[in-house]
Amino acid sequence: SFPQSAADALLATNAAYSTLRNWSYHSGGYPILDIMSDDARKGSNPNDQLPTLGPFDTFTFNTTADGLDRWWAALYEGVKRANVVIEKVPEIAMEQAKIDLYVAEARFLRGLFYFDLVRAWGGVPLITTLTPPLRAARASKADVYSLIEGDLSFAAGILPEKSEVATEDLGRATKGAAKALLARVYLFQGDFVKAESYALEVINSGQYDLEPDFNDAFGEAGEHGVESVFEIGARRNEGTNNGGNQYSNVQGIRGSPNRGWGFNRPSIDLMNSFENNDPRMDATIIFLGDVLGGVVTIGDGTTPDETRDANGNLIEIETYNQKVWTEGSNTITSWGHNRRIVRYADVLLMAAEALNENNKSAQALTYLNMVRARSRGGNASILPDITVTDKNQLRELIIEERRHELAMEGHRFWDLVRTGKAPEVLGPLGFVAGKHELLPIPQTEVDLSEGTLGQNPEY
Amino acid sequence: VAQGSVVKGKVTSQDDGEGLPGVSIQVEGTSRGTVTDFEGTYSLELQSGDNRLIYSFIGYKTVTVDVGSRSVIDLVMEPDIEQLEEIVVVGYGVQRKSDVTGAVASVRGGDLTKIPAANPMQALQGKVAGVQVSSGSGQPGAAPVVRIRGVGTFNDSSPIYVVDGVILSDISFLNSSDIQSMEVLKDASATAIYGSRGANGVVIITTKQGKIGDEQTTFSVNTEYSVQKLSRKIDLLNGKEFATVVNDINPGSYNNVDAVPNTDWQDLIFDVAPIQNHQVSATGATKKTQYYVGLGYFNQQGIIDKSKYERLTLKLNNTYKFSDNVRLGNNITVAPYSQHVAPGVVYQVYRAQPVAVPRYDDGSFGVVPNVGNPLADLENSNNFNKGLRTVGNVFTDIKLFKDFTFRSSFGVDMAYNKNKSFTPAYTVYNANGTASQQQNLYSDLSKENRENFTWLWENTLTYNKEFGKHRVEGLAGFTSQKTTSEYLSIRGENILRDGQDFWYLRPSYIVDESNNINTLNSIANGVDAGQYYSMASVLFRVNYTYDERFLFTGTFRRDGSSKFTDSNKYASFPSLALGWNVINESFMQNITALTNLKVRASWGAIGNEKIRYNRQFSLVQNELNPVFGVEEALNPGASYGVTGNPDLKWETTYQTDLGLEFGLLNQRLTGELDYYRRETQDILVDLLTPGHLGNGQGQRVTYNAGSVLNSGFEFNLGWSDEIQGVKYRIGALGSTVHNEVLSVGGNSGVDSTLVGGYLGDGRPVTLSREGLPIGAFYGYQIDGVFQNQAELDAYPHDSQARPGDLIIRDVNGDGKISLGDRTYMGSPIPTFIYGFNLEASYKGFDINVDFQGQMGNKIFNGKEVVRPDPYNFERHVINRWTGEGTSTSEPRASFGGINFAPSTRFIQDGSFLRFRNMTVGYTIPEAALERINMNQVRVYVRGTNLFTATKFTGYSPEFGSEDVLSSNIDRGAYPVSAIYSAGLNISF
Repeated sequence: SFPQSAADALLATNAAYSTLRNWSYHSGGYPILDIMSDDARKGSNPNDQLPTLGPFDTFTFNTTADGLDRWWAALYEGVKRANVVIEKVPEIAMEQAKIDLYVAEARFLRGLFYFDLVRAWGGVPLITTLTPPLRAARASKADVYSLIEGDLSFAAGILPEKSEVATEDLGRATKGAAKALLARVYLFQGDFVKAESYALEVINSGQYDLEPDFNDAFGEAGEHGVESVFEIGARRNEGTNNGGNQYSNVQGIRGSPNRGWGFNRPSIDLMNSFENNDPRMDATIIFLGDVLGGVVTIGDGTTPDETRDANGNLIEIETYNQKVWTEGSNTITSWGHNRRIVRYADVLLMAAEALNENNKSAQALTYLNMVRARSRGGNASILPDITVTDKNQLRELIIEERRHELAMEGHRFWDLVRTGKAPEVLGPLGFVAGKHELLPIPQTEVDLSEGTLGQNPEY
Repeated sequence: VAQGSVVKGKVTSQDDGEGLPGVSIQVEGTSRGTVTDFEGTYSLELQSGDNRLIYSFIGYKTVTVDVGSRSVIDLVMEPDIEQLEEIVVVGYGVQRKSDVTGAVASVRGGDLTKIPAANPMQALQGKVAGVQVSSGSGQPGAAPVVRIRGVGTFNDSSPIYVVDGVILSDISFLNSSDIQSMEVLKDASATAIYGSRGANGVVIITTKQGKIGDEQTTFSVNTEYSVQKLSRKIDLLNGKEFATVVNDINPGSYNNVDAVPNTDWQDLIFDVAPIQNHQVSATGATKKTQYYVGLGYFNQQGIIDKSKYERLTLKLNNTYKFSDNVRLGNNITVAPYSQHVAPGVVYQVYRAQPVAVPRYDDGSFGVVPNVGNPLADLENSNNFNKGLRTVGNVFTDIKLFKDFTFRSSFGVDMAYNKNKSFTPAYTVYNANGTASQQQNLYSDLSKENRENFTWLWENTLTYNKEFGKHRVEGLAGFTSQKTTSEYLSIRGENILRDGQDFWYLRPSYIVDESNNINTLNSIANGVDAGQYYSMASVLFRVNYTYDERFLFTGTFRRDGSSKFTDSNKYASFPSLALGWNVINESFMQNITALTNLKVRASWGAIGNEKIRYNRQFSLVQNELNPVFGVEEALNPGASYGVTGNPDLKWETTYQTDLGLEFGLLNQRLTGELDYYRRETQDILVDLLTPGHLGNGQGQRVTYNAGSVLNSGFEFNLGWSDEIQGVKYRIGALGSTVHNEVLSVGGNSGVDSTLVGGYLGDGRPVTLSREGLPIGAFYGYQIDGVFQNQAELDAYPHDSQARPGDLIIRDVNGDGKISLGDRTYMGSPIPTFIYGFNLEASYKGFDINVDFQGQMGNKIFNGKEVVRPDPYNFERHVINRWTGEGTSTSEPRASFGGINFAPSTRFIQDGSFLRFRNMTVGYTIPEAALERINMNQVRVYVRGTNLFTATKFTGYSPEFGSEDVLSSNIDRGAYPVSAIYSAGLNISF
């Protein structure tokens, strides 16, 4: 029987976290990150993974698309590990405070996993026990959100603040992380009152601040730093079992210096969208010739430096995602990248967005301009403070700011979908309104369910 | 001899001293003679000039006697062990051949030494009807895959082996020269006594033993030296052809195709390699003891460097007779071995571009794009196995009362294997000095230890009684067994020095050029300790014979296994069989042409317990470790892995067999025909489960949810005769197999197909589902090549397809080409397997010729399909489509893409006929030997795998796989060689 002791309870709780470094949790599910947005292209050389990843660039994927089943299964595997803690740990004779803490961590993670599930697929089977039925019908989207809210608010009530976490435990869920996630969850449902409230609670907790250097917000120097609200710890080791995380290796520079496979390539559209001299562009994108850590980026021999369409228009240039770059001398170092799930700049921008929607534009501008000020870095000639107070105009500016601040961090596609801008922005790339807001339920799951699991519209 | 004188006498058997009826007595050089009567007596009138009489009888050694002046000649005939027709070894006992009701095939030990191979089963290819033996690899020491009467389950479908009473799953430790006989038990009547282990057939092996009466010790020395050679190469493009094809795909890649290098990688990797096989033995008996002592040495170098197998076998068989009622004995084999395993360079060689050079001018390895330089891999590979296998038992036979015998046997099987693999740090550099992809940044060393220990204690009580026309044998037994296994693996990087003396592990960190401290995967451990399972069984058998005419056999075994939960722990396996020796009916006595006629029928239920026993449990998985803290420490984590299924129970095979045995023309023509039908139910199947169960992607749960049918006919015909001093025997045998999956996933309702045969890039090429054979090939049906745009536009096609691409059939008719269009492409299981052979001897010369073959199966050329990058091509690419009307079968050249989707394009005919073996020997006449005090000296030469007729384009058309869902897929296996041998047999 497992778990049956306090030590077992800790093992079981840790196991739930380990899903976060699972290849199928994000590395294998990378199509759903930025490739589906206007910020990135498939990347790597033109033929590499063209049949599997290409369709996510062009919205031509179908129900058997590569990676969907892996992502679905990995998220539910995480749910199962969380359920082991939630269901079994309270039965163990051990200190009640520890029980509460482990259950809160597990419910935080379960909420996080279900949030991915509901965003990607809408209503999905709700599994909250260790003995689920072989066939489970889809719950309503509202029911899934209600489970997520229940889990995260339970966690927020019990988890410690970040400052109360021992340095060796940084990376575990905190009160701030749960609240920040709640703010995000309510934004997705258009509940701006609650989104505002949770975002402000995080801001007012005094636990977080912006890194002075934008590079540290996602880079190695800022790991577990002041801006980090929730991140996935990883070690510089190849292999998930050894503590490595392939997330950055999948996107790292292809060719020379060899840091990875080069998928998820920043797009020309993204470059063009930055305001003049916004230093974040260069901090986000590795261009050929860039010198990083003393090494010149030469790139990949089988990838064209420039790609043009039939009319001679430049449509793609060889670039790489700088936000996953790690200094070092080999591919192994890229396995050590700590991926940020929530950082403070995001919280500020969520607060700004919610405040604006709640007709508090002045307050919204405060938080928006905090983010811009950091990027300005004392250079008064760039990124001037925004003063627009018109709700509609300001909404657009905040979304634009999110794009530049959080580019290549996996937010853009969801932001476009939740704000209803996806058909307009992504339509030219193949996005079909009423269809591509959700991914198709993996065909294997539909088949195995023998009719219990309905497919999403238009697939 | 005077004209008209009469010689009389009685012929008795050495076995029991009883008179032998039916012994043929012939005057040498004439056709005159007589036959002994029911009491074994005879009387024969002689003519002048008659000097010698020849006494012959099936099952006994033929004796020639000088008549001289005698008028009474009594003779004791000695059973001919070599013929073995009379006595057949069956499970837990022996039986007269005429009493056997099951399908049992016997192979003489002498037939097993005809193939120079470490594993005795290699010699069974084409020798027993219904038995398919295929090599999966030519790597020295690789075990062949054995299937008896089709493929009975999705799981381990191999037979079990019973060596001198010890039940084993593998006999790689046995030296063929130590084997007296091998019996293959095929039907339920024969195998049901092994209950839950008999479903896939039982091979009973009896090793050599001294014979009571052979008071003189016989020493024998056998020595053989062989040379192996790749029997044929794969037809690949040369440098110029490759460059031409690449220019087709990417114009301008090679400016001058005449100036490119031309490397034949196959020539560089394959070499001629020797096998040595030596054996000495001593055998004999006294009044109280029988003994056999054998010592063997086998050494096979592979035709690829760094592959080798070496084995020493010590064999000790002794029996001590304490009194008339008590015997005590032992059969022990100790076999230390070592193996050097080559890396997978065969596949590399297949893919390596011929325009790459093996070495640059400075002697350093050349870069081979995409696959790496196979010579560099070979040089840096150091993979060794060594181990010790000890198998043996001690037993006692005690005669109780009058008709009861008690036997107790305690056996052990101990296997210890160590693997050690070291790769130094190395880099293959481009000509411009930059590092290529082929590198190993840090040296690494891995070690693995495996230990298996099994004990088996078997106790049986046998009752034998003859009264009047009744003969009864009863058997009751109790057996128990326990197997424990342990496994340990450990791996480290950045070993201090490359030399073998330093191949020990040490944790290590290294500081790189940027002064980062990198924690290497310094030590990774895998431990799987303390696995065990145990079994306890009771068994019963009754054999009853009435009047030498009617036969009945009934067996029953009940097994209990720790592999199952309490509710399913025990299972019973019964069988029934009837036989009728028609030949002994009075109405047959006038049909003199027939010398044997028997019909038999059997039915039984048998099991297969070679399954992963832990699949009933939800196991806790370790190493689910998150990283926390500024110091990035791995925190231990553990949770439930794949869900177990507590309802698992036994797989059961129901088998029916109908047999006919006959002998014609004084047994010159003999034959055996069988029809069999095996249906396996409740097969353990790993089925995909829905993701929401949280088992993780691609993880499967085991259910009793499959059934499979195998049915077919078997024949085994022999003709033996002697013409003018030439003794010869012609044999032919064959069997058909109809293999069909009856259901998958039936009662679990989770899944109804089993996907397998995964290629290197993860694409599956087999599908097992209702109505198809196990491991059926599954992919696209190709209907030609799109000749032009109009054709392309008119038919559904892949979005990337162009003229010159393959036409994929829109099987489901939905107007699109998608995975749903994949269809059945053929079976990996042959529908007919056969063998035929000729043996002849004249004076001192002997010759033996064996052929073996199979038909009706396909091979999937998997090595050709996986090509995301530019690799070399097979020659048929020369005939590619280059414009309308140029080819209707070979598409335009491309690197990968739709033309390399698994399809019928890569299905090849797997039928073959192989000239398996030819031996020519010469035995020096006895007269010449007597002076030097020797019994026998024989020299011979032999060729093995001399020629294979097949349409298959790879090295060898057999790809045995223990995974039945992955059979007959060519993934670039180590080829099987042709072998040329010379040997010497001496006994004195």
